[in-house]
Amino acid sequence: MKAHKVVGLLIGAALVASGCGGGGGTASGGPAEIKFVWWGNDDRAKLTNEAVKLFQERNSNIKVTTSFQNFQTYFEKLSTEIAGGNAPDVIQMDYRYLNEYAGRNVLLDLTPNLGKEIRTADWNQGFIGSGKLNNKQVAMPLAQNATAIAYDPKLFADAGVEEPAIGWTWQDYKDRAGKIQAKNENKIAGSTDFGGTEDVFETWLRQRGKKLYADDGKLGYTKDDLKAFWQLSKDFRDAKATTPPELVTTLNAGAEQSPLGKKLSASEHSYDSLFGGYNTVRPNELKLGPYPSDSKDSLGSYRKPSQLISVSARTKAKDASIKLVDFLLNDPDAGKILGANRGLPANLKVREQVSQNLTGTNKVIFEYEKSVDAKLGDAPAAPPKGDGAIYKLMQRTHEEVVFGKKSIDQALEDFFGEAERALS
Amino acid sequence: MVLTERVAPAPVKSVAEGAPPRRPNKSQGVAYLFLAPWLLGAIGLTVAPMVVSLYLSFTDYDLFNTPNWVGVDNYVKLFSDDPRYLQSVGVTLRYVAVSVPLKLLLALGVALLLNSLRGLGQAFFRSAFYAPSLLGASVGLALAWRAIFDTWVDTPDMALTTIILLSAWQFGAPMVIFLAGLQQIPRDMLDAAEVDGAGWWRRLFSIVLPMLSPVMFFNLVLETIHAFQAFTQAFVVSGGRGGPADSTLFYTLYLYERGFTEFRMGSASAMAWVLLVVIAVITAVLFRTSRYWVFYGDER
Repeated sequence: MKAHKVVGLLIGAALVASGCGGGGGTASGGPAEIKFVWWGNDDRAKLTNEAVKLFQERNSNIKVTTSFQNFQTYFEKLSTEIAGGNAPDVIQMDYRYLNEYAGRNVLLDLTPNLGKEIRTADWNQGFIGSGKLNNKQVAMPLAQNATAIAYDPKLFADAGVEEPAIGWTWQDYKDRAGKIQAKNENKIAGSTDFGGTEDVFETWLRQRGKKLYADDGKLGYTKDDLKAFWQLSKDFRDAKATTPPELVTTLNAGAEQSPLGKKLSASEHSYDSLFGGYNTVRPNELKLGPYPSDSKDSLGSYRKPSQLISVSARTKAKDASIKLVDFLLNDPDAGKILGANRGLPANLKVREQVSQNLTGTNKVIFEYEKSVDAKLGDAPAAPPKGDGAIYKLMQRTHEEVVFGKKSIDQALEDFFGEAERALS
Repeated sequence: MVLTERVAPAPVKSVAEGAPPRRPNKSQGVAYLFLAPWLLGAIGLTVAPMVVSLYLSFTDYDLFNTPNWVGVDNYVKLFSDDPRYLQSVGVTLRYVAVSVPLKLLLALGVALLLNSLRGLGQAFFRSAFYAPSLLGASVGLALAWRAIFDTWVDTPDMALTTIILLSAWQFGAPMVIFLAGLQQIPRDMLDAAEVDGAGWWRRLFSIVLPMLSPVMFFNLVLETIHAFQAFTQAFVVSGGRGGPADSTLFYTLYLYERGFTEFRMGSASAMAWVLLVVIAVITAVLFRTSRYWVFYGDER
């Protein structure tokens, strides 16, 4: 039985871990071995490993092993490892999963180390708070990103339409995407279907002055809100301005695998921090622009911690782990290596330094953030436990609508039923 | 699979009949010594985790914290409060009902064909047809399949069919067993039938298939059990989501999602036990029906 085998492996892993765990260095400054994991692509791996190498050169008594996966498999592997008693020491964490893990007491409270082992003098103090839950600093924001439209300027120009710019509306987007798609005889879609993506929905909600989650952790929107959003996505489909059903993919698959990355779409909702991934498969072909918005005041985007970094509560090498965290966040040389690969560096001095010498991907990301900065809001509280499930649920129920398996109303019924169960 | 070792195909019988009766063994300790590596594995990696998972299925275990006893709650909720569970049962039953007969028919057909070849040709084609099964469980093959049938696997109506075809294509294992069974059928019996004027079809239905029925039964049981546990192909082809629109939400895939992405390991354990019981019941039913259609050579 597969499940039993899996459980067997877990137990095996637990035994191995408990048997071998005694060797790790515990004394401050003594030799230590730590494991650092993150999600990302090869591009990010190269830079991160380079930074880790520098860290090891400076701390010859600390050995760091690293591994990475894509977003989806990352969290599956992480949960298994933690359950098996084999948790990595330094863990890249997602805003969406912060409550999921911190709520289960697996992340170390870094509050005592703030301003000491982890330097915070050069930080936007509000931004530090995005790693805080119930007054515990369970993570440090690693970098800042924001939602963006990634697009192919050539296709916009060929169709004779303007590129995304602040002030454009959803109607504008639909019209332009429709023209691009017509120009390319439906072989390249004008936009990527966004109806199943919670990130897009959140930004759209914020443009209308609402939130994904209320302060008490319940859903911050009603059936009518989601209905209007799904209707908007349907309007794009009806206007032949978006990808066909079989391309209903997600951001999770990675920028390389998305319709824009595969040149099947001219534009899509994304994050600026994913630009490196796009650039790997379509070098120097794409640009970043702001979300369309029907509100003059709000883009809906906010200063989001693109990733956070946590230390396992069960680490056997606490000091070494915290040292690595501080190095990645605050060291000028580490900042130089990492650039804007994860978004804008959280340390403002490092950010300033990186912005002095911008090339390629980093330049595109920095310039985009600069162009929208005045319109960015502060990050909302981290989503509650269950949001990970709701994220997938939205994708799935929307797929059922797109493939004509369910009407929007039926899908809404199912969505709210399951979403409330996931939050309970 | 452990089962291959226990349920040996019946033709072995004819060999056993000729063997001398077994001497009573005084030193069973030696036997256990030799069995020890297997026993350790079986107890440490199969029995013990199963017992743990049975216990967990009655708890709210979430992977990280100490499990609390919740009685049969997990089991009740599966059937009363979860439309996706029923969807996953439906998908899996459809998969089993179509893929098992399809795979066995293909395996039998190819085995009959190969059996009519002799010499090098048989060896070559046997290997060639077996190759996909060797690669079968590999992620790489499923990825290739995903790339080839790109549009199909992204359409809810075709996604499951694609996975069924992928599984049917990997008919090598039952084929080899069929082939072995076919080669056990006494040549003189077929010759006698031919002399009596029986044509190819007549020989097939009156001699070959009845003589082969124990092997067919063996393959049927094994493939049914395998099909219920199908995971890898569906996981890879659907990108781990059982999509699009839950059309390939296999039971095992949902179980995995429950346990490892929703952290509801108690509920996932309950699902595993329901699956185990269902497989056991279906296997028992197959064994009951076997007396009506499986022919062992020694019967009159």
